Amino acid sequence: MLAVLCGLAASVHAQDAAAAADGSAAPAALPRTLPPESHWRLGLAAGYGRRTNPLIQSDDIPVLVDVDIAYFGKRWFFDNGDLGVEIANNDRFTTNIVARVNSDRAFFSKTNTKYVTFTQLSGGVTVPIRDPGTGTPLAEPEPLKPPRRDYAIELGFETLFDGDWGAASVRAFHDISNTHDGYEIGVTYDYRITRGRFSFSPSFGLAYKDRRMTDYYWGVHKEESSLTLQPYVADGGLSFEVGLKTNYYMTKNFRVAMALNYERLSDSVGRSPLVEQPYVFGYFAGLAWSF
Amino acid sequence: MVVLKLRSIALAAALGLACMLPAHAVEPSVRLVVKPLLCVLDKAATSCMMSFDIRWKSVAESEYCLNDTLGPAPRICWGAALAGGTVEQRQVSEDFSYWLGAPAGTERLAEVKISVLRVDSDDRRRERRTRHVWDVL
Repeated sequence: MLAVLCGLAASVHAQDAAAAADGSAAPAALPRTLPPESHWRLGLAAGYGRRTNPLIQSDDIPVLVDVDIAYFGKRWFFDNGDLGVEIANNDRFTTNIVARVNSDRAFFSKTNTKYVTFTQLSGGVTVPIRDPGTGTPLAEPEPLKPPRRDYAIELGFETLFDGDWGAASVRAFHDISNTHDGYEIGVTYDYRITRGRFSFSPSFGLAYKDRRMTDYYWGVHKEESSLTLQPYVADGGLSFEVGLKTNYYMTKNFRVAMALNYERLSDSVGRSPLVEQPYVFGYFAGLAWSF
Repeated sequence: MVVLKLRSIALAAALGLACMLPAHAVEPSVRLVVKPLLCVLDKAATSCMMSFDIRWKSVAESEYCLNDTLGPAPRICWGAALAGGTVEQRQVSEDFSYWLGAPAGTERLAEVKISVLRVDSDDRRRERRTRHVWDVL
C-alpha cells in the first residue's frame, strides 16, 4: 500500500509540475458559487490500519473498514454517532450543542485475562507468598484483568472556526449519564493543503480531562485492587495529539486515503497500573468511496 | 476420480461459456481519450486552469468534430481522418463532457466526462474533526 501511495505521490508531483505550469486550481476571479450539497454524507473506506490500545491485557484495535454516515439538516445533524443541533452560525464561527459517546470506553472492549503466580524464595525453597489480607498461602494463580468500564453519554458544545489560516474547534463536554460525572475541554487545529489531486491535512489537538472522568476510566478503584492490580487514583490532566490525513482523488467519488495519528496520554493516565504504554498510535491506508 | 470428473465438468462449462461469447469484444467505432479528468477545488479556488490532452481514433475515415456540453459550437473539427488530437487549455469550474460527432451532427460517437470536485464545504459542520483515527473519510 505504501508503495502504491508513493507511486501516486510521484504521479501527483509530476501532475503538480504540469499544474504549476498552467496555473491549475489557482483562485480565479469568478464568484464562489457552490452547488447545493446533499443532506446525507455516506462513505466507505476499506484497507488496513491499526490503533494501539494503551490498556494492559488488551488487543490493538484493527481498522479494516470505516463507514461514514452523516446527515446534516438545517439545524440538526448526525455525524457518525454524534447528534447535534446548530445554535449559531455566521461568517466567523458555527456553534453546535452535541451529544456524544465517550471515546475512552472503546479501549476496554478488547481485553483478556492473564494469570499470575506469586512465589517467594525462602530458605532456598520457592514457596507461595501469603495473602496480605488473610495470611493464607496463595497457591492459585491470581487473575490480572482490566476492570469493566461503561460507556458515558456526554453533552456539550463545540465552536468551529475556519479561514485562510485553517480550521479550529473549541469544545467542552460533560457526562450526563451519571457514569463518571466528569468533563472534558479541548481545542483542535488543522490545515488542509490541496495540490492537484492530492490533499494533505496536518492537525494538532489538546484536551483536558478532569479528575472524575480520568479516574473513572484509568484509576484502579478500591474494590478492584488486588495483588495484581494496585489501587491508583488518576488525576485530571492534559493530553495532546498530532495527526496527518492525506487523500489522492482518483475520481469524484473514489480516492486513496491514508491517516496517521499519535495521541500522548496525560501524565497521570500514563502512570496508571492499567496503562501499558502512555500513548495511542493509529494508522490507516486504503481506498475510500464517497456515495 | 471424482476430482478429475469435476475438473472435466468445469472445463466443459468454461468452453461452453467461451463459445457463447463473441470472438472479439465489440470495439467502439470511435474512441476518445482525454486527460486529465478531474479538477479538485479547495478553499477560495473557484476553478482549475487545465491543459487537456485530447486524442481520438476511428475505424472509419470521416470528418469529425470535438464538442463539449457547455457550448453549442464545436471546439475543433478535422477533415477526413482516422485519428486526431489536440491540446486545449481552459478554465474549468463545473462538470462537463467532451464528445466527438459528425459536423453539424448531434449524435455523440464518443464521450468523456470531466468532473469538478469540491473538497471543502460552506457548512462548517461537515468539516468537524472526527475523534477516532479510523475516521479517515
